[in-house]
Amino acid sequence: MQEPAQIVVDNISHLYRPPRGREVLALDAVSLEVRQSEFIALLGPSGCGKSTLLYLIGGFLPVEKGEIRVDGKAVAGPGPDRGIVFQHFALFPWKTVRGNVLYGLERQGMAKAEREKRAMDYIELVGLHGFEDSYPSQLSGGMKQRAAIARTLAFDPKILLMDEPFGALDAQTRGLMQMELLRIWQRTPKTVIFVTHDVQEAVLLSDRVAVMSARPGRIKTIVDTKFDKNDPDIFKNKTFVEKVDEIWNLVKDEAIKAQGKRSA
Amino acid sequence: MSIEVQTPRDGVPEILGRLAWTLIWGFARVFSIVALLAAWEILARSHTFTPFQLPALSAVLERIWSDAESGDLAINTALTLYRAMAGFLISAVGGVVVGMAMSRNAAANWFFDPIVSVGFPMPKIAFLPVVILWLGVYDTAKITIIVVDAIFPVIAATVIAIQGVERELIWSARNMGANNRQLLHQVILPAALPQIMTGLQVALPLSLIVAVVAEMLMGGYGLGGAMMQASRFANSTSVFAGIVEIAVIGYVLIKAMAIIRRRLLIWHPEANAPATA
Amino acid sequence: MTKTLIRYLPLLILALVWEMAARFEWVSTTALPPLTDVVRAWVELLLDGELLRNSASSLYRIGGGLGLSIVIGTVLGIGMAWWKPVNVLLAPIVEVFYPVPKSALIPVTVIWLGYGDGSKILLIFLGCMVPVTIGAFNGARASEQVMVWSARSMGAGKLRVLWDVVIPGAMPELLNGIRTALALSFILLVSSELVVAQKGFGFLIGSLGAGGSYDAMYAVVLTVAFLGFAADRAYLEIVRRTLAWRSVT
Repeated sequence: MQEPAQIVVDNISHLYRPPRGREVLALDAVSLEVRQSEFIALLGPSGCGKSTLLYLIGGFLPVEKGEIRVDGKAVAGPGPDRGIVFQHFALFPWKTVRGNVLYGLERQGMAKAEREKRAMDYIELVGLHGFEDSYPSQLSGGMKQRAAIARTLAFDPKILLMDEPFGALDAQTRGLMQMELLRIWQRTPKTVIFVTHDVQEAVLLSDRVAVMSARPGRIKTIVDTKFDKNDPDIFKNKTFVEKVDEIWNLVKDEAIKAQGKRSA
Repeated sequence: MSIEVQTPRDGVPEILGRLAWTLIWGFARVFSIVALLAAWEILARSHTFTPFQLPALSAVLERIWSDAESGDLAINTALTLYRAMAGFLISAVGGVVVGMAMSRNAAANWFFDPIVSVGFPMPKIAFLPVVILWLGVYDTAKITIIVVDAIFPVIAATVIAIQGVERELIWSARNMGANNRQLLHQVILPAALPQIMTGLQVALPLSLIVAVVAEMLMGGYGLGGAMMQASRFANSTSVFAGIVEIAVIGYVLIKAMAIIRRRLLIWHPEANAPATA
Repeated sequence: MTKTLIRYLPLLILALVWEMAARFEWVSTTALPPLTDVVRAWVELLLDGELLRNSASSLYRIGGGLGLSIVIGTVLGIGMAWWKPVNVLLAPIVEVFYPVPKSALIPVTVIWLGYGDGSKILLIFLGCMVPVTIGAFNGARASEQVMVWSARSMGAGKLRVLWDVVIPGAMPELLNGIRTALALSFILLVSSELVVAQKGFGFLIGSLGAGGSYDAMYAVVLTVAFLGFAADRAYLEIVRRTLAWRSVT
């Protein structure tokens, strides 16, 4: 790594305390470095703590053990330098698409004329032109996620945290959205941390894939997945197939382990 | 199952600290009630208010005790409970039957639907004098007005509950060979139970409210009647005693209902959810 | 039009049965005066101002009690959901006060504030505060974590989150609680006015009944019942508009 990392996750452990029952070690001594403009996927079976790690970087959960630094500063809470997109969109249902996108800009104290224009630009960017005055309840799942992505991109965070953003979408929409995200990312390169349990998605989108182990969550390996993704037949591309196969073999054992633990 | 790890962070001081917080919050929960009762007693004794406006808590408790010794408390409580519960049970059974009939029979639905949709939001307590005119002032009249008030939420809840039963559930049961009767008893009613229970939980406090008003207006034995009698003689200690007694009945009945709900719906996700206030 | 007619035909049938039962004296006309007589009595009550005078004082009581309970109940409920100390102090009191059949408070409100408006307003306020508080509390507590987090990451402070996310999110449950309160306010109003009052619907019903003018008594009973129904429908319309974002099609 030539340049210093933008995000440094340094030896993080995290305890999950359910309202009832015993606490669970969700993350165990996890370390990770992410460079600027890098697209990294966190991949692992459900319950491996990948979302927890994302929430810690976002500053939504308190860091208890270890440290997370963004641009050299320890994370102490949420901030507009790190935008987040959730699986279930988290759009404000009482605001229109435009209202949702405007919200972050208002909070940044942007002047009215400027934020109106900017909101429309981003609504256009995600292909929601004509739907700016619709409420989320009127949109399909894919459109909701486009709106959520526009909302987050609009206030221009340096880092984009994505928590299984396409997990709630049907397969076709999902494929389209993946292409869309790649297109947007190539136009506005940001550092992206992308949580998923879909191996193909991880390989398709990211430069590196961090494969996590089942509970307690650890980073098992990091696989380099940077190669030319512009092949129109990418899913049959030799490198792609090999990478998917390599990562799938790493993940399979963990998935089986996680299954066994849950049914036990 | 998940791996449980005792982390090094949980030393003795942390455990003691957590215990201390549990105790402090636990104490705080009782604190406001105790403070309220203490404030009542102190305010009453400080002569800020006359004993007519605010009799001391101790005097009220003494009155409850003497009512209990004389046997009045038992008679009045039993009568109020009998009327409220009779009204509630008739509403519960009748409401579920009417609701089921409406869900399964087009004619019943045609007839009852406008009556329920217009009748539900009406303040039916206004019909109390009409009920007195027809049925007099004894138990029949009191129970009737309770039923008139309490049956609507049960009917409405039953209709909505049965409408809400998933088609796939019914189809699966049919697929496995359930006949109409079995379908109703083994699939539709259990699936509709959570919402029906919610309707019953609206009807129960309503039964008590109406029972007390009916007793106040029609007189005779019963906690409402006794309170009215006491207030006519400016006996505010007995009025306050009546409130405490009725409040206790209300508290016990509503708690009992919540327990029954938990028992019946042990399969429902809400049973596993953390308890709410 | 025809559809509405068919839908509400059962009510017309009931009205017709009422009229016939009274006209042909299947039942005593004292117990059930003919519907047409009731309508005539209603017009008379309206013309001599009796009905309007008593309506005005009843509606004033409902407005006062319900208005107070909405304002204070909303603040308490959201406060309980948002600040743990408020919750710890108030939750036990709400829990103890919640199951009290509120009609039991009628004599006490009279002891405190007399026979007039004050005691009715206090009773309605106390009774209606419970569903409003619980609605606001449940609504505010259920605000979705991810939505709060989204707002925080866009730079909203804690108070902004309360105002922009928690309160709008609490609206559906809060408005539902207020609907319960609205129904309860009519019940408590009529109850307290039937038991002790010098004016209002309940008083009018009681005094007409005592004077033996049963047709007029029926007229007032039906008026109150209709007002309760109309208030609920009007309220639902307001809710539908307020929550338009929930299911616009």
